[in-house]
Amino acid sequence: MKKVFSLTAVATALLLSGCASFKAAPEGDPLEPVNRGIFSFNNTFDHYLFKPIAKGYDAVVPTPVKTGVSNVFQNMSDAQSIVGGALQLKGAKVGDDMGRVLINSTVGLGGIFDLATPLGIERGNEDVGQALGYWGIGAGPYLVLPFLGPSNVRDLAGRAVDGQADPLSFVSSVPVRNSLTGLRVIDTRVSLFPIEALANQAALDRYTFTRSAYTQRRESLIRDGKAPKE
Amino acid sequence: MQKWWIQLVAAWVASAALVVSAQVTPDAQVKAVATDVTGILKSDPSILNNQAKLRDLIEAKLVPNFNFARMTQLAMGRNWSKASPEQQATLTKEFRTLLVRTYSSSLSNFKNNVIDYRPLRMQPADTDVTVKTVVQQANGQGIPIDYSMEKGADGSWKAYDVAVAGVSLVTNYRDEFNSVISSQGVDALIKQLQAKNK
Repeated sequence: MKKVFSLTAVATALLLSGCASFKAAPEGDPLEPVNRGIFSFNNTFDHYLFKPIAKGYDAVVPTPVKTGVSNVFQNMSDAQSIVGGALQLKGAKVGDDMGRVLINSTVGLGGIFDLATPLGIERGNEDVGQALGYWGIGAGPYLVLPFLGPSNVRDLAGRAVDGQADPLSFVSSVPVRNSLTGLRVIDTRVSLFPIEALANQAALDRYTFTRSAYTQRRESLIRDGKAPKE
Repeated sequence: MQKWWIQLVAAWVASAALVVSAQVTPDAQVKAVATDVTGILKSDPSILNNQAKLRDLIEAKLVPNFNFARMTQLAMGRNWSKASPEQQATLTKEFRTLLVRTYSSSLSNFKNNVIDYRPLRMQPADTDVTVKTVVQQANGQGIPIDYSMEKGADGSWKAYDVAVAGVSLVTNYRDEFNSVISSQGVDALIKQLQAKNK
């Protein structure tokens, strides 16, 4: 049932992003009023729940443990990155990601230690949303997702497919899976502290600031950091 | 007669030396500034907790390498011509303050990181180049930081945009500025910047 739902979501999203009207301007934000509502909901939720928990975790848990936890989740996302890279036929990146997962999962004790980075094997940092962009599918309108934050129609579709390859989704015990998912949310939230501080200082309007930064970042990832074609 | 000759040669040598010293390549310039600043912060880490000292350091070492007038103009985009000369001057002043503050608050995040400098692709006649660097973090993720630099009439290089992980500062502010100006006008933007800098 879950699979059927996400496939429908992908199909709908692709259909939407294929519409010519949505390809107009990259700064297009036709859903701004709704997005701003969700943005402020997310901020409130974050302020009272996610952030205090993440701050407590950051303060209480010793750094080596935090690093180990981050590495394990990063190893999982390296595994997911293989899918995004393969969909773009980027052989070198797929090879690097496979090498990383292989080394870190075995010698790195299930990903606790990141031994691939000192060996000079770089992260592919790919996902299905990037693959869709690589093949010329437009971003569609900017979206702010409840709890998850900035996205767009193309990345929402990509996320649905990425979710299918999420190692956590293969954990059969529901309590364990939920606990790990919760831990991953906290780990991600902690990693956002420096960016949050920067955005608070730099932004006149957090919403516009985040939208522009997200859009630019995703376009840059799709081009693998190369300059846009003028 | 001979004296006159020697003086001319001496003047010529001196002026040639001046030209050479002014022709630092932009990547070498970025590297020199970064090495200088990180060195100072390492020898006296207390600067990071002292806003006044930190700002003095940034004013002395970093600010001279940026072209704030150009940055403001680019961030304003097509709205630049809508602003009066007085408004343009105020905008440049306030934007400069905001950027210096943002820089000083984010500097502490980068104090322990290693910076890689990517080879610069540049022809001798180029006056506009991108210096590419990567700040290596402990977790293996490198953050690319690109400096767009322009050669001024005096031969010195100044940065007019910085892109962090593909996010251009100028583009980000252009979106923000444009959204304020299109709904509320130039004066509203100036008021918001002034309120932010208070």
